[in-house]
Amino acid sequence: MKGLNKFLEKMGRGVGRVVGAMYQAGRDSVDQVVTNVLPFMAFIAMIIGIILGTGIGDWIANTLSPLASSLVGLIVLSLIIGLPVLSPLLGPGAVIAQIIGTLLGTQFANGSIPVQWALPALFAINPQVGCDFIPVGLALGEAEPDTVEVGVPAVLFSRFVTGPISVVLAWLASIGLYA
Amino acid sequence: MEAIAKAAEWFIGLFQEGGNVFASLVVGIVPLLIVLMTFVNALIAMIGPEKIENVGKAAAKEGILYYPLRYVVLPFLAVFFLTNPMAYTMGKFLPEKYKPAFYDAAVSYVHPPTGIFPHINPGEIFVWAGIANGVEQAGYNTAELAIRYLLIGLVVILLRGIVTEFITASMWKNKEA
Repeated sequence: MKGLNKFLEKMGRGVGRVVGAMYQAGRDSVDQVVTNVLPFMAFIAMIIGIILGTGIGDWIANTLSPLASSLVGLIVLSLIIGLPVLSPLLGPGAVIAQIIGTLLGTQFANGSIPVQWALPALFAINPQVGCDFIPVGLALGEAEPDTVEVGVPAVLFSRFVTGPISVVLAWLASIGLYA
Repeated sequence: MEAIAKAAEWFIGLFQEGGNVFASLVVGIVPLLIVLMTFVNALIAMIGPEKIENVGKAAAKEGILYYPLRYVVLPFLAVFFLTNPMAYTMGKFLPEKYKPAFYDAAVSYVHPPTGIFPHINPGEIFVWAGIANGVEQAGYNTAELAIRYLLIGLVVILLRGIVTEFITASMWKNKEA
């Protein structure tokens, strides 16, 4: 009897732990979606709506699309976004990357940019990722002030080099995709 | 009067269009996102994110063999289990000279996996979803694009880690000289 009780107790605890973890996971996910995802969707939807409704889309199609549908154009885009003085300003919340991504998305949707440029474009819009956050990110890793002093410019310069290279790598990696 | 009515109609039309886009985003992305995030969050809670600390300790070692561990495996596990921004705390297991490069690699990997593992960075999902939605509307499947984005991202963060480690080392030398 004692053994059975012990077993039941153990099982109850185990089940409780698993169910609790799943329930908490669900709560976290819904929280995340409500606080972070839905507001951004509203913002993005408004921008796309205005672009589609006003005809700014045609203007973007004429200026941005030629840039985004050639390797050289995407490299130029990544160089601009990865400029060490510009990248920390473009970083926060990845807002700029998300807007440019969405703008390009509208151009992929209507065929102004062929879809085989999607993969290099994903890298071309993002050489600045986290450039606004370097001191904080390093502090989270318990870095010394000396490290931060060297690390901030090191990462910024590195991006200016690796940004365009990442576009080229993505271009090579997209061979055979949507062909 | 008619002109004003026309203008008002045009104005509302802009947001009608936006509303349609919003509805398609909510229906198309949110249900999958919530269920997938619930699954992965539960999985992470059951595995225990503290287990990756051992990888962090191993990645601190010198030598060319440890580059992939430090700038591919560790950033991947860190962003997967700890997500943005807590992933960067894994830098504490590394010596100072590797910290900027590790941060660079980790932060560069908060978007490439979001096509398959959106729990890593749901607040910035549109870096991926902005382009992916467009590709989907053009009538193409985005699964392979998501996989390639995830994989080529690993190559890019390895490269970033190596380049940034090199630049950090040479800047440190200049500073001391």
